Formats: sequence, C-alpha cells, structure tokens
Amino acid sequence: MKVLCVAEKPSIAKAVAGHLSGGQATTRPTPEKYIKNYIFDYDFGHPWGRCEVTMTSVLGHLTSAVFSADYKNWDYPPPDRLFDAPVNVIVSEDKTKIAENIEKQARYVNALCIWTDCDREGEHIGYEICQAARKGNRTLDIKRARFSNIERAHILNASRTLINLDQKQVNAVASRIELDLRIGYAFTRFLTTNLRTLGGPMAQLMLSYGSCQFPTLGFVVDRYFRVRNFKPEAFWSIKVMHKREGIDVNFSWARNRLFDRPSVIILYERCLAAKIAKVIKVQEKPTKKWKPLPLTTVELQKMATRFLRMTGQQAMETAEGLYNKGFISYPRTETDRFDKGMNLRALVQKQTQSQAWGDFAQNLADGGFQQPRQGRNDDKAHPPIHPITYAAPTALNPEEKKVYELVARRFLACCSEDAKGVATDVDIKYGEESFHAHGVVVLERNYLDVYPYDKWTGTVQLPKFMVGEQFQPTEALMTEGKTAPPNYLTEADLIALMDANGIGTDATMAEHIQRIQERDYVRTVPRSGGSGDEEAADAPAARGGRGGRGSRGSRGRGGRGGRGGGGAAGNGPGRVMEFIPTQLGVALIEGFDRMNFETSLGKPFLRKEMELKMKAICEGQTTKEIVLNESIQQYRHVYMQSQQKLSVLKAFLSQDSTGSRNDYRDFLSEDGGYRESTA
Amino acid sequence: MSLTTQIRSGLQAQGLPTPTLSWIQSAMPRHNPPPPLPALIATVKTRLLIADLTNPAILELPVPAFPPHLSNPEVKEIKLTQDIPVQVLDIDNLTKSKWDQIEELEAIARGEQTRGREIVRLPTGNEEDDGASEGASTASTQSISSGRPGVQARGASASNAASAASKTSTHRLVLQDCKGQKVYALELKRMEKIGVSTLNIGEKIMLKRGATIARGTVLLEPATCVILGGKVEAWQKAWVEGRLVRLKETVGSGNQN
Repeated sequence: MKVLCVAEKPSIAKAVAGHLSGGQATTRPTPEKYIKNYIFDYDFGHPWGRCEVTMTSVLGHLTSAVFSADYKNWDYPPPDRLFDAPVNVIVSEDKTKIAENIEKQARYVNALCIWTDCDREGEHIGYEICQAARKGNRTLDIKRARFSNIERAHILNASRTLINLDQKQVNAVASRIELDLRIGYAFTRFLTTNLRTLGGPMAQLMLSYGSCQFPTLGFVVDRYFRVRNFKPEAFWSIKVMHKREGIDVNFSWARNRLFDRPSVIILYERCLAAKIAKVIKVQEKPTKKWKPLPLTTVELQKMATRFLRMTGQQAMETAEGLYNKGFISYPRTETDRFDKGMNLRALVQKQTQSQAWGDFAQNLADGGFQQPRQGRNDDKAHPPIHPITYAAPTALNPEEKKVYELVARRFLACCSEDAKGVATDVDIKYGEESFHAHGVVVLERNYLDVYPYDKWTGTVQLPKFMVGEQFQPTEALMTEGKTAPPNYLTEADLIALMDANGIGTDATMAEHIQRIQERDYVRTVPRSGGSGDEEAADAPAARGGRGGRGSRGSRGRGGRGGRGGGGAAGNGPGRVMEFIPTQLGVALIEGFDRMNFETSLGKPFLRKEMELKMKAICEGQTTKEIVLNESIQQYRHVYMQSQQKLSVLKAFLSQDSTGSRNDYRDFLSEDGGYRESTA
Repeated sequence: MSLTTQIRSGLQAQGLPTPTLSWIQSAMPRHNPPPPLPALIATVKTRLLIADLTNPAILELPVPAFPPHLSNPEVKEIKLTQDIPVQVLDIDNLTKSKWDQIEELEAIARGEQTRGREIVRLPTGNEEDDGASEGASTASTQSISSGRPGVQARGASASNAASAASKTSTHRLVLQDCKGQKVYALELKRMEKIGVSTLNIGEKIMLKRGATIARGTVLLEPATCVILGGKVEAWQKAWVEGRLVRLKETVGSGNQN
C-alpha cells in the first residue's frame, strides 16, 4: 500500500514526517523550492497497515475563485452583474507547481491522507488538495488526520484514528469565498469608478470594500464621534471619612453621584444636620480573584496588544511560528475549556525547567495542581492555546519569547489556584443617606505569582465597626467632578468589539484591522496623556456575543466595586496605540450611513448574519445554495439602494476630500461639518 | 344616597382626591340601566386620573393645595399639614448624565437597540452606575446565541431597556398641585414606580400629610407619597417627543459654564 500525505504548510509536513518516520525520512526536492517530499515507511494500523509514504505540503490555499475574462473590465458589464456572473475556481497562478506535484505523486499511490490544520479553512484546503490529487488518480481512498498540535504522541495517535473530510465545513468556506468575491468586487468597482469621477485626490484612489472591513471601520468611526461629540457634565457627590485606629476609612455614597447640584446640597445638608452616623451592617467574608480561563485566540490577541506591545497580527504570526516549531498548540481556537482527558499535569511538568517560572510549575507538579476553570466555548476542533513542550529562551527570537511566556504563564495560572483574600464591608446610615466602606486584604496570591498580567492589590484593612454603633464622622464633604469622554479605541477594544458583534473569525480579525490601516481608512496614534482614564478604558471589555461569554465581564470580582480591582491595570507607562479614522474613512462610513439606515454597510448586521449562516452550514442547518441565494439577494438590495442614493455619498466625499485627506491632524482640528461639532 | 355621592365615597375610599358631584355626573357613562356601582367607580376613577387637575371644575372646594412660598429655598424644612393631590409634569434621572441619555435615544433613533440589531458597545469607563446598558447587552447576548441566521427578532420595546432605572437611581420630578403651583420633588428613598419609562407625565400622586419639604423640594418616600396612576396623553406625547431636544439644550447650555 502506498499513501500520499499532504499538510497545509512545509513546517508541518516536516514535523509530521519526522514523527511518523522516526527521523528516517528521505528528503526529495520538488519544482516549488519551499516544498519538499519526504519518503518513508509507516504503519498506520488498521485498515491501511504498513505503507510506503510520501509526505508533502501545500502553501495555504491552492485555488482561488475568479470571474471569467468577460468581466475583467471595470466599466462594463456594470458591477452589479458580478452578483450572478459565473465564478470559476482555478488553481492560483503561483500554486501550479504545487498542484502538479500533488497530481503527480497521487498517480503512484492508493490512498491520500490530509494533514491540513483542523479548522474551517483547513478543511477547505483539504478539499482543494483532494481535487488536485484526483486529477492524477480517480480511485484514491481519502482520509484526514485530526490533530491540534505537533507533539509526537499526539501526531502518532492522529495517524491511527483517521477520519473523513467534513464536507459541511468545506461548503461553508466555499460560500464565504464566493460571497467575498462577488460582494467585494461589486462594491469595490462601484465605489472606485463612481467616486473617481469626483476628481482631485479621489481620481487616483482605490476604494476597496470588504464585508468585514467596513463594519470594522464603522466601529472606529463610531467611537471617534462618541469622543469628539462628547459634552462633559458636572456631577456632585458626598464623601464621608471617619478616622479610627489611625486609619482613614472612606465611605462612598450609595447614590454614587448626581447630576444636579441643588439636590445634592439638600441631601448633604440633611446628613450634616443628622450629625450622627449609625452602623447598619458589618460583613467580613472570604473573597477570591478568579484565575483566568484557558486561552483563546481572541484573548491572546487582546493580551498581546495590551501587555506585549504587539499588534494582533504580529501576535498571531508569532504564535503561528511557535506552533510550527512545536512549542505551543494550535493558536486559532475559540475553546476556553480543557478536555477532561488531557494530561495537563504532564504539560505542567515540562515547564519546571524554566528559570523564570520553573519553581512555580514545580510547586504545581508537587501537588498544587488544580483543574482549570471550564469556559463555555468549545469549537470542537482545538483545545485552548497551551504550551506543548518547554522552549528554552535561547531557542526563541525576542517576539517569540514574549508570546511563549504569555502562553506558558497563562497555562500555569489556569492550573493554579484562585487568589484569596478577605473582604470587609461596612454600611452606615448618615441621616437618611446610606454610605459604604469596602476593604480587602489579600491572603494568598496563588496564581498571581506566575501571572503578572493581573493585579489585585488589597486596600487597607478596615478597623472594627459594630452593628448598631453610632459615631460622629470625622469629615463629610460634598465633592464635585466632571464626566470625561471615552477613549479612542485600542486594538484590544476593537478585537473585543469585532468578537462581540460577530465580525470576522478569531483567525481573521487581525487581518481586517491591518487591512483598514493599509487602505488608509484609519491610523493609529499613541494615546496622549490622561493616563488617569487608562484603567477605566481597559477595564473588562464587553464580551457580548457568542453565546454567553458575556458573563465574564460582569462577574463580581471579590465583592463590590469590581471594576477597580479589574485585571487590566498593569498597563504601564508605555504608549498605547489608538485607532482614529482618516477623513476618507469617516466620509465612507458617514456616507453609507446617510444613504440607508436599515442596512448600512458600515454597521455589523449584514456581516454578522453571514457569519451565523456559515456556522449554520457547518451544523447542517442550512446549505450552501440557500445561503448564497439569500446573502446575494441582501447585498444586491443594498447595492441598488446605494446606486439610487449615490449622490449622497458623492456629496460627502467631495465635501471632505477638499482638505488634505491624509492628515488626520488637520481633520481633528477642523472637526468638519457632520453631526454637530463640539467646536 | 344618590348615585353620584356613592361614587364620590367610593373614590375617597381609594385615597383619590374628591371631585365635585357635577363633574362626577359629567364623567359618568350614560348607560341605561346604569352599570353596577364598582364598574361606575372604576370608570370615573380612570377619567379622573387622565384629567388635568388644574381644571377648576373637577375638584371640590376647598381644593387641598401647597401653601404659598413652598418652593422657597431659604426654608430649611417644613412638613405638609394635609394630603395634597398633584400631577407629574417632568421627570429626570439624576443618576445618569444627560449625555448618556442622549446617546441612548440616538441609538434607538438609528434602530440599533431593537433586539437582534444592537451593536454591542464596550463600556467606556465613565458610567459607574450602568444598570441599564448592562441589561441591554445581556439581551443582545441572548438574541445572538439563540438567533438563527436570517432571523431577527424585532419590535421589542427598546425604550424600556434604554431608560430602565436601576435600584440606586435617584429621580427628580416636577409636580403640580390643583392651583397650578409647581414644585421640585426628589426621590429620597427609591420607589420602583418612579422611572423615566415607568412614570407617566400627568400621572397623579397623593402627597400625604407629614411629607417633608426641604429647601423648597418635596422629598419623596413611600410613607408619604402614594402614586395613584394615570397620565395626560397629550402631555406624555409632547414630553417624549421633545425629550432629546431638551436634553441637548441642557447639555449645550451647561457646557458654557
């Protein structure tokens, strides 16, 4: 029996061939210089048994979807014809040598085994490989290996429990590819050809449209205006302080703050008139700061942008490299729970060699180990991101070192114990008003010792108060403050927003963010001053979407006033990059918003629906044909509307392109004529 | 006892202000034979609650009203010496900044808070008391996870979610007595029914004897404030329609200080 194995990229082919052959593979060059064929013998067990194996790889997708030559011209036929023009799937020009290698090798074998990454895209690439191989050999027995890291035992196990390619996932990706092609081409041509006629700086412009790009840009623009339009407002509060046992105990007002001065004066006066405060409730109870959930892709990107000074894109590329070298598991995953069957202790044991966190790992190995918390998401393909084996710092470049450390520390934190403390709560009544004091003492740091990304600092221990006791507060002040605008979006914010609104998959979010920068729709600038707001801005982000991850943010952390104790404080003094739209970006979103409120392309709704449909195809609830039909109709409808109201968009762009569109600083100072300006 | 007198005692027994017999007569349904007494009382009660109390023909003299100069801020504290019926002219949630309220209303206007079409936004860190928006994002979580592709649940009342008051909210009302005198009222203790979407404009309230007026503002607490219900439809409509403009004006003028 002869078998052809094909991986998604050369590094995986090499690693898998190494494991299966026991390092005994013969290497042959192919016409494509990056790709090698590895020849060896291997026993797959039942039913294939002992085989002669050729292992090779592709370089990502082999094929691409294109329109036929009749549609090359941008001016004719009109772009909307692209919604139903025939689409051909062809082998991409730069991939022909790879496809030929597979076709040729397939002629000599009886079976084909797919070793692409186990996610939707991987499934489709697997299908592309099948098609190429079938050209050489129509009678192939085709199987697929299911694996999520390239550790030896895991790979050997995968090779003995082969499964079939999942046609549903293939169909979902095929639908996505076709929709992206039709919608992207139609709108890009429509925008570019129509708006170039405006002349001036627009004449040369390439205005690309992508169904993820635009909503992503929409988020940036939305926040931009929330910041720019913001009007500060004064508020007032009452602060009570009582000195006892040498400690200043600060009591905060149950009403927090009111946006009306006379009302606060009335309430304040009545407090003072009452003179005496009475203790209503005293509660001392154990409290915890929960250890983090197992690491997902979105979480990794958010943490990398926040703590490692990397973009989401850089973080993903680095993580991919670590995966290809076998140091960490597959970094594209939505799963935040470890399978009960996984031997996590063995993985902990491997980290004991580290200079930095080896002692901590040793403690876990010696009995401190605790099963990680179980999140609610399971993509059924990959475990959470975790270290596979120990990587010595000398084996890694600086970027890899940072990402590996993050993955390793997160994993050890997951296998450790929650941090523990004692929280004291004192409620008092002062006149008719209620006030509250809260104190936390951290008793056991536990996971925090290995996880510097979370902070939990105890406040001063509160002195003794007795229920029913009365006292005259040392001080009662009426305070005044002002609301501050929100911050511009950071990349972590943007990723969280895309995640919550179903824009892109966790694997592609970073690319979309990159894209809107390349198109000059948005810029990043260092956050200026106002570090006081920083903590608040980075505080627990809303995890709205995706079936209930949302609970995480609102869960009380160690009792009341959760936000202050949040995990995001450790931002340090470095520069946080913020996203600000260019004039062009603003004009595009505003223009589309003005054209039609219901289905503006700048809003996430259409795309969110499309992502959900992809999922439904995978789950067998709908089919590729139905989804293509529905989605194309929807977008065609928007296209028609856009065409009718083209003048609105044109008016917006010509008005805004008069300035130097590339200079966001000009834009900031002008704060142009849309919505009401703050002036 | 005549029918109108019986109705009047029925209304009094429910703690409502006392209307004149002639007004009751005019408010009675003209069925023959007349419906049973409880139904008659219910009908007249409803008419009373949707009426404008400043109409001099409605309430029996002497109409209980605020003492003159009640709203004088120089006076530290007085107590009401009798029950006084009032109607709501305005309500404001003092816990929420005007700007937050404006952003919510604008989102609704864009159709973004209808279930299934909400843009999930991040907390910006300025809204410490943020019960309402948390509630809204929970709702969207549910609709996303349960929503099948292509299905968009629509039509759920968005304004409820947007202006729902949390447990610690503090509202300020403008109340009006039967003589047309207006006074501010501050929610001293939280009352569930007081909320921007739950209390109507024109809704009737009975301020009980012993209610505190501090610096010219009535302090509302359950012991001395009975919410009777009702609304004046035209006022409510005008209030809702003009709310965004009023909020913007307030913020604009506040900005110049």
